[in-house]
Amino acid sequence: MKAIRVIAAIIALIGIADAVYLTVHHYTAEAVPCTLTGGCEQVLTSEYAEIAGIPLAAYGAAAYFIAFSLVLLSIYGNRMAWTIFGVQVVLMAIFTGWLIYVQAALIGAFCQFCLLSAATTFTLTILFLISLGLRRVSQ
Amino acid sequence: MKEEQKSQSGTPLIIIGIVLVIVVLGGWYMYSSSKSAPRKAANNATPGATPKIATIPPNAPPGATPPNMLGSPTASVTVEEFADFQCPSCGSTHPILKQIQSMYGSRIKFIFRNFPLPMHDKSYDAAVAAEAAGMQGKFWDMHNQLFTNQKTWSADPNYREVWAGYAQKIGLDVEKWKNDMAGLPAKSRVDADLQRGRGLNINTTPTVFIDDKQVPYPEVTVEGLKNIIDSELQNAQQSQAKPAAPASNAGANTTTESANAPSNSK
Repeated sequence: MKAIRVIAAIIALIGIADAVYLTVHHYTAEAVPCTLTGGCEQVLTSEYAEIAGIPLAAYGAAAYFIAFSLVLLSIYGNRMAWTIFGVQVVLMAIFTGWLIYVQAALIGAFCQFCLLSAATTFTLTILFLISLGLRRVSQ
Repeated sequence: MKEEQKSQSGTPLIIIGIVLVIVVLGGWYMYSSSKSAPRKAANNATPGATPKIATIPPNAPPGATPPNMLGSPTASVTVEEFADFQCPSCGSTHPILKQIQSMYGSRIKFIFRNFPLPMHDKSYDAAVAAEAAGMQGKFWDMHNQLFTNQKTWSADPNYREVWAGYAQKIGLDVEKWKNDMAGLPAKSRVDADLQRGRGLNINTTPTVFIDDKQVPYPEVTVEGLKNIIDSELQNAQQSQAKPAAPASNAGANTTTESANAPSNSK
């Protein structure tokens, strides 16, 4: 169980790094290297890239940081923190699903950094679901 | 009990604090070491994405008439850009398109369309400011000022005063410019461009068309645009050369070289 939480903490750190990178890109207006998908700028400068004037990546960085903090608290024995983490990552996964739809259907381009973020969110959700499964088995 | 003690100890909070400091400092380091090198990374882009490539249909809304245009109205190749003065990517694309204009001069027709995105609070006003400058024949001067100094005015709550400084710098009658900004004609031109953009389902800026075909964003680099323009110029030359072959009836069957060009040139 602890191993799952340690992995989740590491994944959340990857999510933070990715989201901070995209946030900085947004404010410096530098193009990101887009060697895999080729559509990063189209996605990152689209009308969906901001909510209330704040880049979506900044919300992502905050969300990953909260997730990391919750996982860390749970590693150190706070049981409630893991439950809150679970609710948070499930909500994040739903929102991520919407963002993938936006890239595929509304913008018609993919951004590899956004896909990395999606992968980290889905991995965190899967880790949480595995932990629930393991808990049931042990009970 | 042991776990609770652990939780109450400050270790996780210390780690969280350290991570927060690293994140903030790392972000700040990336921000400050970034020099906004114009689109250097985009050159590394490889095709493979599936951008929604649009083609301008003949019945698309015409946009502001006459459009803001550089180059020759009779040029065989038309480059049409939809951009937002407050969009950072448009700011970094600006020098690329300027370079293209200086490379091709009157061999191309360059049209700028206002497409202020709703998420940028000052971009509609910026478009109106540029159009108001255009009423004194200085659209391109204001356009350059707005893109070159984008970071300055975007972050300034007194941005209109900053723009008034630009207006003075480029030699506008500032009072007339302010009146024109408040008036309907400048706004109508912005609205007409917006209507054209919406008619083309544009949802991101900058969006560039060459001869009515949307250029995938990764190709909006000097090299990428040059390749497309060169190829279009070559096609235009070839289509001009073909009817000349049967010299006997050349006068009877003249083709129009700019069949693909938008109808609204200056």
